[in-house]
Amino acid sequence: MNIMQATIMDKELAALVQESKAHKSVYTDQRVFELEMERIWGKSWIYIGHESQVPETGDYISLEFANMPVLMVRDQTDSVQVLHNRCGHKGAKLVGKPCGNNGRFVCPYHGWTYKLDGQLVGVPHMAGYEGTKFDKAAPEYSMQKIRTERHRGFVFATLNKEAVDLKTWLGSAAITIDNLCDRAPEGEVEVAGGTLKFSHDCNWKLFTENLNDTMHPMVVHRSVVDAANQYISTLPEDSQNRTEAEIIPPFGASYEKFEASGIVGFPYGHHFDGGKTSIHADYSVDPDYKAAMLKAYGEQRTDEILGYNSHNTLYYPSVTFKSAIQNIRIVRPIAANKTIIETISFRLKGAPDSMLQRTLLYSRLINSNGSMVGADDLAVYLRVQQGLRSSGSDWIEFHRNYGSDIDLGDRLSNVGTSDLDMRTQFRAWKHYMVGAPL
Amino acid sequence: MSIDIPEIEQFLYQEASLLDRVNLDAWVDLYTDDGTYWMPVVPGQDDPINHISLIYDDRTIMEIRRRNYNHPRAASKELPIRSSHIIGNVQVLSTQTLEEGEDSITVSSNFHCVVYAADEQTLYAGTYTHVLVRVESRFKIRSKRVDIINCDAPLGAILSYI
Repeated sequence: MNIMQATIMDKELAALVQESKAHKSVYTDQRVFELEMERIWGKSWIYIGHESQVPETGDYISLEFANMPVLMVRDQTDSVQVLHNRCGHKGAKLVGKPCGNNGRFVCPYHGWTYKLDGQLVGVPHMAGYEGTKFDKAAPEYSMQKIRTERHRGFVFATLNKEAVDLKTWLGSAAITIDNLCDRAPEGEVEVAGGTLKFSHDCNWKLFTENLNDTMHPMVVHRSVVDAANQYISTLPEDSQNRTEAEIIPPFGASYEKFEASGIVGFPYGHHFDGGKTSIHADYSVDPDYKAAMLKAYGEQRTDEILGYNSHNTLYYPSVTFKSAIQNIRIVRPIAANKTIIETISFRLKGAPDSMLQRTLLYSRLINSNGSMVGADDLAVYLRVQQGLRSSGSDWIEFHRNYGSDIDLGDRLSNVGTSDLDMRTQFRAWKHYMVGAPL
Repeated sequence: MSIDIPEIEQFLYQEASLLDRVNLDAWVDLYTDDGTYWMPVVPGQDDPINHISLIYDDRTIMEIRRRNYNHPRAASKELPIRSSHIIGNVQVLSTQTLEEGEDSITVSSNFHCVVYAADEQTLYAGTYTHVLVRVESRFKIRSKRVDIINCDAPLGAILSYI
């Protein structure tokens, strides 16, 4: 049992989130954060990685999962496992490197040794345990396995033995993962081009709530959009410099354009902006890529695949996908006011190299630590984190278009500028935190 | 080609001073038309195109960045950003005479750069690799590579050229 468990009663927690407003403590109170780790991040399916990151037996990556060290490893039976990165002896973190390959996991402290599937196989100087109650074969001394499922190569894990299966949990929101894979002429993607790690001194929800907040770009990103437009206006029509510069201006799209894009929300907190169109819809299509797609899928299916354009699809709470761009961002909460965002890019198998290069250009210009776009997003999250120290009000609101969400059976829908995204996330928050209906 | 180390050092100091004085218009003007500014995200990174970087700006993005820098609506730059550079260990790694008759010099140096922004002071330390070309008796920068020693750590926002 977590010792924090009794610090806030469920009734008090439930009162923190209402239908169109939330209490500031859900962003600022470390006790709420600890409960979120246990109840949201400990009950939901959490993004771990992609199986292309561990192609060979013994390959592993180490990462933080719900604020705990874990490993994704391809074991001796070619099965991808997610294991707690913790020795069964004195609890030392077994693996320190971010990735690698080995045949066994050996603890750096007392040399306990584990097979790739986590089973304890070696304890030095066993004689000392003779006649004690210690049993090397007892599962409690092995590296503990975490329940894991995959969807098209994407690996998710959950600490919740009662959780619905991954397919049910993803529901209709799986369309964006499917679309990302379908955009590859071979129907598969692989991780490529490295990782960006961006430290945010703010609550994790300020990041996830901004993903499909379409009322902010024209304000927050006006400075960079103005700068890009001013520069583009100095260029001749046929200048090659335009392609690169033109990634930025869609971030200044009008309220009307964002309103028309639409937002849909699903059970468990998933949601996306767009579908038929988004701010990514007007980026040009590489002719060699188009040819490879037509060859693989034919014209009708190619048009369907490339016609699906969502902006960000959040699989609440841990990962957001951009299928049209082929990157994802992973959310790693550290504390109530600290979060690390990792950006990972994907290669579309069977597509020309120019597609990955475009993805990386986008990730660099929009999502990197050096991005002019990302820097201003972070600056306003910090303003919220600072402003919430005020006793001027205890609440933040998300009323926009409240009361007009349309129930389409598997999802709720509203205009793109609505706060449906906030309401969707907080409905899931309340479900995980205090058992409210989805 | 004659190598004048003090002349190269003076040029590196002047370039850093333009950043410290936040004169990006003059700073961008130091670059050749095909000039690049690169801040890799992993040590020893050899490819800015097929691998992600913290920053990889050509003149296009430099032109946007300098216009963005002084925009009154940039939230991340509402408070002034100040920096102070120290450069040392200047070494000429190689020289080359290019076809057009231009001289190209690859220079390595170490730097410490302290950036103050939004109430916080950040220390960046690492190695610069400049490829300088001499154009009409003046140096221009064909490429500047900035390897910060903690490039693969979870860093905050990098608000200015280092």
